[in-house]
Formats: sequence, C-alpha cells, structure tokens
Amino acid sequence: MCLGIPGRITEINRDGGLTMGVVDFGGVKREVCLAYLDDEVDVGDYAIVHVGFAISKVDEDEAKRTFEVLKEMSQLDELEWMEEVAEKSLDPPQADPS
Amino acid sequence: MKYLSEYRDGKIARGLADEIRRTATQQWVLMEVCGGQTHTIVKQGIDELVGEAVEMIHGPGCPVCVTPLEQIDRAMELASRPEVIFSSFGDMLRVPGSDCDLFQIRARGGDVRVVYSPLDALELAKRHPDKQVVFFAVGFETTAPANAMAVWRAKELGVQNFSVLVSHVTVPPAMVALLEAAENRVQGFLAAGHVCTVMGWTEYEPLAQKYRVPIVVTGFEPLDLLEGILMAVKQLEDGRHEVENQYVRSVKREGNRPAQELVEKVFQLVDRQWRGIGRIPGSGLGLRPEFADFDAEVRFGLQNITAEEPEECRAGEVLRGMLKPNECAAFGTRCTPEQPLGAPMVSSEGACAAYYNYGRFRQATRSKA
Amino acid sequence: MSESGSLAQGINCPVPHSKYDRVQLGHGSGGKMSAALVRERFLPLFSNEALAQLGDAAVVDVAADRLAVSTDTFVVQPLEFPGGNIGSLAVHGTLNDVAMMGARPRYLSAGFVLEEGLAIDLLDRIVEAMARAAKEAGVPLIAGDTKVVERGKADGVFINTTGIGELDPEFAPTPECARPGDAVIVSGPIGRHGIAIMAVREGLEFEVEIESDSANLCPLVENLRQRVRGAVHVLRDPTRGGMASALNEIAAAADVGVELEEERLPIPGPVLAACEILGFDPLYVANEGVLVAFVEGSRADEAVAAIRAHRLGEGAAVIGRVVEAHPGIVALKTRIGGTRVVDMLPGDQLPRIC
Repeated sequence: MCLGIPGRITEINRDGGLTMGVVDFGGVKREVCLAYLDDEVDVGDYAIVHVGFAISKVDEDEAKRTFEVLKEMSQLDELEWMEEVAEKSLDPPQADPS
Repeated sequence: MKYLSEYRDGKIARGLADEIRRTATQQWVLMEVCGGQTHTIVKQGIDELVGEAVEMIHGPGCPVCVTPLEQIDRAMELASRPEVIFSSFGDMLRVPGSDCDLFQIRARGGDVRVVYSPLDALELAKRHPDKQVVFFAVGFETTAPANAMAVWRAKELGVQNFSVLVSHVTVPPAMVALLEAAENRVQGFLAAGHVCTVMGWTEYEPLAQKYRVPIVVTGFEPLDLLEGILMAVKQLEDGRHEVENQYVRSVKREGNRPAQELVEKVFQLVDRQWRGIGRIPGSGLGLRPEFADFDAEVRFGLQNITAEEPEECRAGEVLRGMLKPNECAAFGTRCTPEQPLGAPMVSSEGACAAYYNYGRFRQATRSKA
Repeated sequence: MSESGSLAQGINCPVPHSKYDRVQLGHGSGGKMSAALVRERFLPLFSNEALAQLGDAAVVDVAADRLAVSTDTFVVQPLEFPGGNIGSLAVHGTLNDVAMMGARPRYLSAGFVLEEGLAIDLLDRIVEAMARAAKEAGVPLIAGDTKVVERGKADGVFINTTGIGELDPEFAPTPECARPGDAVIVSGPIGRHGIAIMAVREGLEFEVEIESDSANLCPLVENLRQRVRGAVHVLRDPTRGGMASALNEIAAAADVGVELEEERLPIPGPVLAACEILGFDPLYVANEGVLVAFVEGSRADEAVAAIRAHRLGEGAAVIGRVVEAHPGIVALKTRIGGTRVVDMLPGDQLPRIC
C-alpha cells in the first residue's frame, strides 16, 4: 500500500479524457496519471506517485520548515554530546563544537 | 532524490534516536501498520536503534500477507485459463495458494504478467482484444483510487475484455479488531502515511479517543519513522492520546477528495476475510453493482472456490503481533523464504521473512561473542 | 539493410547484402543455406586462421600448463538494450568469467540457436557487436555452431559462448581464499545493467538515462595482476543476483563474514531512483561491467589505485571488509547506524507496491 515516491512534474497533458503527465524521479521519467491532483498542480511541482498515479502534491514549504527543525535537533545533540565528553575526560576538548 | 534522500540523513537519524531514548522513561509498545514502514524499519535496523525505548510490533499492513487464501486460489484458477492474461503487481507472484503459486502457474503455461500500474493492465486489454485480461486488484486505501480509475476508464472506453479480481482491505477496521483483542499489547500506532494521503486522518480521531491510544500519521523514510516514533513516545509520556501528523509534506486532514470520490463511485464497503485473522466486517472494498460487468469473480463464476488455511501456519497470530515469528514451531525449518507456509514469510516486509534474515544474524553474532 | 548503411556502422563491415530478410529452418540444416549463412554473416566478421579452416574442431596453441575454461548461455530479453545487445553481452560475460580466475582469455567459441523468423539485420547487429567486443579484447572466435529451431521455440536467439584462458600460477584468486581483514572493493557504480533491461521490459516502461555497463573487465584484472598480484584473494563479477548473491557465495565458500557499509556503495542517481519506484534493492540488481575484489587489507589502497588507472575502474571504492564474526553471512551497516543481513533471494526481485 505504500510505495509512494516523490518526483517532479515535467509535462502535463489535459487533452485526452484523463489528465496525464510525465514525472521525473531523480533521473527516471515515467508517465503518470495526474487526474487526482488536476486543479492543484503545475509543471515544476513535486508529487507523490503510487502505482502510476499522483496521490498528493508535496507541500514544499511544510517540508522545508519541518526539516529545518529536525536538522536543528541533531545539531543540538552534537553540542550536548561534546559537553558530556568534556565533563568526563581529563583534558579539555580539542575540537571546536560548532 | 529530492524529498527522499534527505530523509535518510545518518546524523539526524542518530540525533532522533538519542532523543527517543532520552524521552522514554519506560519501554513502550508501538505498532507500525504499513508493510512499507516495516520494510524500512527492518532494512535500516531502526528497531535495533530504538530498542531500549520502544518495542516495535509489525502490523498486518501488508496487503500481500492478508489477501485471503481463497482469493489467491481464485487468481490461480484464472491464470490457468488459456484465454486469460493474468496481470498483477509483482508482490503477489510468490504468495503460496493452497496448491502452488502464480510463478508455478506460469511455468505450467499460464500467461502471468507483472505490471507496475493498473492502467498498464488496461493497456494490455486494449492491445490484446482476443484475450481476457484480468487484473489482481489488491491493496489498501492507497491503491484503491488507482484500481478504481482503471475500472472507471474500462467502462468509459468500453473495454469489454478487461476485468478485476478484487481483494481490497481498509485499515481502521483492522486496527479496531487489534485493539479489541484481549491480548492486545499495542500502546500507540504509526498510521500509514500513504493510506492517509488518500483518506486523510478523520477516521482515526474516534479511535484515538475511544481506545486512548496515540496515533501518529507517519511517512516511510528513516527520519519519518524516527520522528513518528518520537512523537508517539512523547504523547505516551505526557499521557496524551491524539492523532498527530508527522508526514506533513504529503498528508492533509481531509486527504485527497477527488480520489475518495472516485473510489466511492466504483467501490462499496464489504466484509472481508483477512488471511490469518479472519472475517472483519466492513473492512474491505468490493465493486458496486453498476460495475459488476468488470468483476472477475462474476464474469468467471469463481464464487465456489473456497480454501482452508494450512494448520501449521500461525500467520494470524504473527500478524496480530501476538507471536514472534521465531516462536513458531515451523519457523526456519518447514517454513523458509524458499518454501513458505504462509504469506508473512514470502513478502519481504512480512514479519517472518524479516525475522528470518535478522534473527539468524543476531544468533550468529551472539554465538561468536 | 543496404550496403552503405552497413558500412556506416562504425567498423568496416564486409558483410554482403543478404538474399533473405529472415532466418529460415534451412539455415540450420547443414546444407547450402547453412554454409552461406556462416560464410556471409559470420566469417567476414570473425576472420582468423583457426576459424577459417572450418574444420570439425579448431586447433590452437596455448602457453600455459593449466587453463581456465568457462561456458555460459545468454538468453536475455530484449535482445537489444541501451548499452549493448545479446551478442556483446555474450562475449563480455564469458571473457569476464575467465578473467575472474586470474586467467588471461585467449580463445572464444560461440554456439547460436536461432529462431525461425529472426530478422537477418538484427542477427547482423548482434554478430557485429560480438565481433567488435572480441576484437577489442584481442580474443579470436575460433569455433562456432549454428542451429535453427521452429518459430516459437527460441525467443529470437540464444547464444552460448565458451572461453579458454591461460592461468598464471602466481595469480589465482578463488572464493575460498577470502580471509578476515580483506578489503572488499568494487570497481565501479552498481545496478546499471539490470535497470537498463528493466526499463525496456513490457509493462514497466520508463525512461532512464542508464545504459547497461556490459564491458570487458580484463584490463582491470591485468592492472591488479601487475600491481598487487598475490594480495588479491578473490575476484568476482556480480551478474545475476547482483552484489548480494556474489558476496553471499564468497562468504559461504570461504566460511567468513562480510560487512558492508551502505554509505560507501557507489549507486548512480538514476539507478537509485528506478529501484525506489520498483521497490528494488540495488544490491540485487545485475551488473555486467563491474568486478568485486577481495584484497589483503594492507594493500587495499594500491588495489583501488590499480583499478582506477583504467577508465572502466574510475569509480572504484572500498565498500566493506571481511570479518571473522557471523561466518557465511553478509551484513550491511546502514546509513543510520543499524545493521541488517543481506541474504540471497529465493528468485528474482519483483516490482512491488508495498
């Protein structure tokens, strides 16, 4: 139920009875049915594709925002870890924790 | 690959795992519903990474694993007919039926073809007007819009030689069945991100309330799963039980309305048999009467085919998270990936296959230590 | 196919215009049509003394006491694919198998089973590709055979090639020789051949900038032989079943464990993308122009440099090592620090939805 892969829409064809398009998945291109996102998408947008159908448009703003939070969290951990190491060891830490 | 590769960042992953360990004051029991999530967890060693804080139970989220035996047998019956081109997603080919599998039917002369999309099967039907093309329409709610469209288009275009063998199942009733079971140990769920991309998450809100379990809609990459686990653990530590969305880049609360609408036009809720679990009312999708012409069971008169599960296979208990695969007497001996007794040993994200690989490694490293 | 068309195809093609446009049963009967087929379509491209004799068997000299002999039959579909065809594959594949024993390939033979109805110009393209591959490798085709079967019995064409090579007693890598401490080195990016084939299969068509990597690996082996010699314990070309199958076979043969690091695997972007869409694991995808070498740990850097000295080995990298732990099992350390087992698959990988 699950294999949904993000790709960039490079072509949209609304002429036939069914809205179809071409999606580029990091170098692999395939024909995809865009009927379920018809009004929402333009060339250049990213979509999640499952068995040849686009099921959602990737919310790029939300993705960016939440990813930044994740990245910050991991950097914070690096700092805390360095402090722990500093406390435990006899010598002061050599490396710059930034 | 954008929106994929960055969610595999090792450093961020380790950071999340640390945060999970720091947040948990006891070991919690979580279930990820979807087979694709199980695949990532096992493939990336995530359950090993968070093991102290969380016990992950692999849920019945593999449509391959839960397709009832009689449906597999019906597939084989169809595939054996000389006038039929039987098309299917690749997952289904090695699943054992009562007698053999689709691969063996192919070896005996059946025309069995793997397709990537249901629309490919429709194309096959257009290209081979002298044959009957049957498509094995398996899946959860994620795949229903695709299968619905294939049937809808077949009717619109008048493609007479196309039909579908339906074996669709839906997630919420299965979760209810799990939660209602007396032996249930699951304290929180990672809901399937692509099922919810289509359906939204409104159906899960009453479940979270009634059964007092956190439900986090989660994606499929390592960072998605770790973040989802963290969110679930935080809820459990706080004593909350809400529906939260981790997979914000794809899922909205209302889901994909156009997809839901077409599914409703083509399919209706039916009772479905889940292999190894039993009959769950209202847990499946079947074709509406207006589309009966495209129903392979009707067209080929398959209703008389029924099947009995092999007794030794305890897939049901495994799928419900009540038995660990290596606790089954047949595990690794009479039941292996090469000669599986049940579906969870066939499918690469079936719990039994996952244990078969990983468990042997743990045993080997432990004995050398 | 016109004369000028064939002349324009890269090599100086002496093949005359065929009277027939398709292979017929008569071409395999041993009579005039068979002789004409051999004389017109095969001989001009493979010209060498041994073959020209057209005796029942070829007679050749060898300069070694011991020989490595490998045979393989090629049944790939489709017959032509981005980066090659069944002919070039058949030559490269067998040359590589001989080279993986550390032997220097000297001679090739080829047997063809042609399906009645096969287009002659397709046969010409296949044979030309074989000739080109053999010529580039400096290995003559000294014996051949052709049979024709009825329409429907051979999927176009099946080709068997056998290769004979001279063994070097001081350079004899075999799977059993893998030892704890060995570095596991791959000569280039993985997964290209399998994905190039998948992309043109019916039912799965997608557009991808990937070509089969089918190539003659002998120059890489020669570099290793010259610069690192005895420190090379195992050589293997990971064809069907991919890296995973090859490494499992070696681990089992030598009764050692192998540990790979996911971050070090060289996988081209489009291969990764195609694998994502189909639900494939790149470790199980076939390669036809890549080798795996198990080299004594202390000389790993030299070995990598030796491979990189040739353009086919540009992407060479150490991807793991041999360990004492978990003998017979190949384990992968994932990007996020977890570990999983890389097992043999019961059969082929199948595209999945789940």
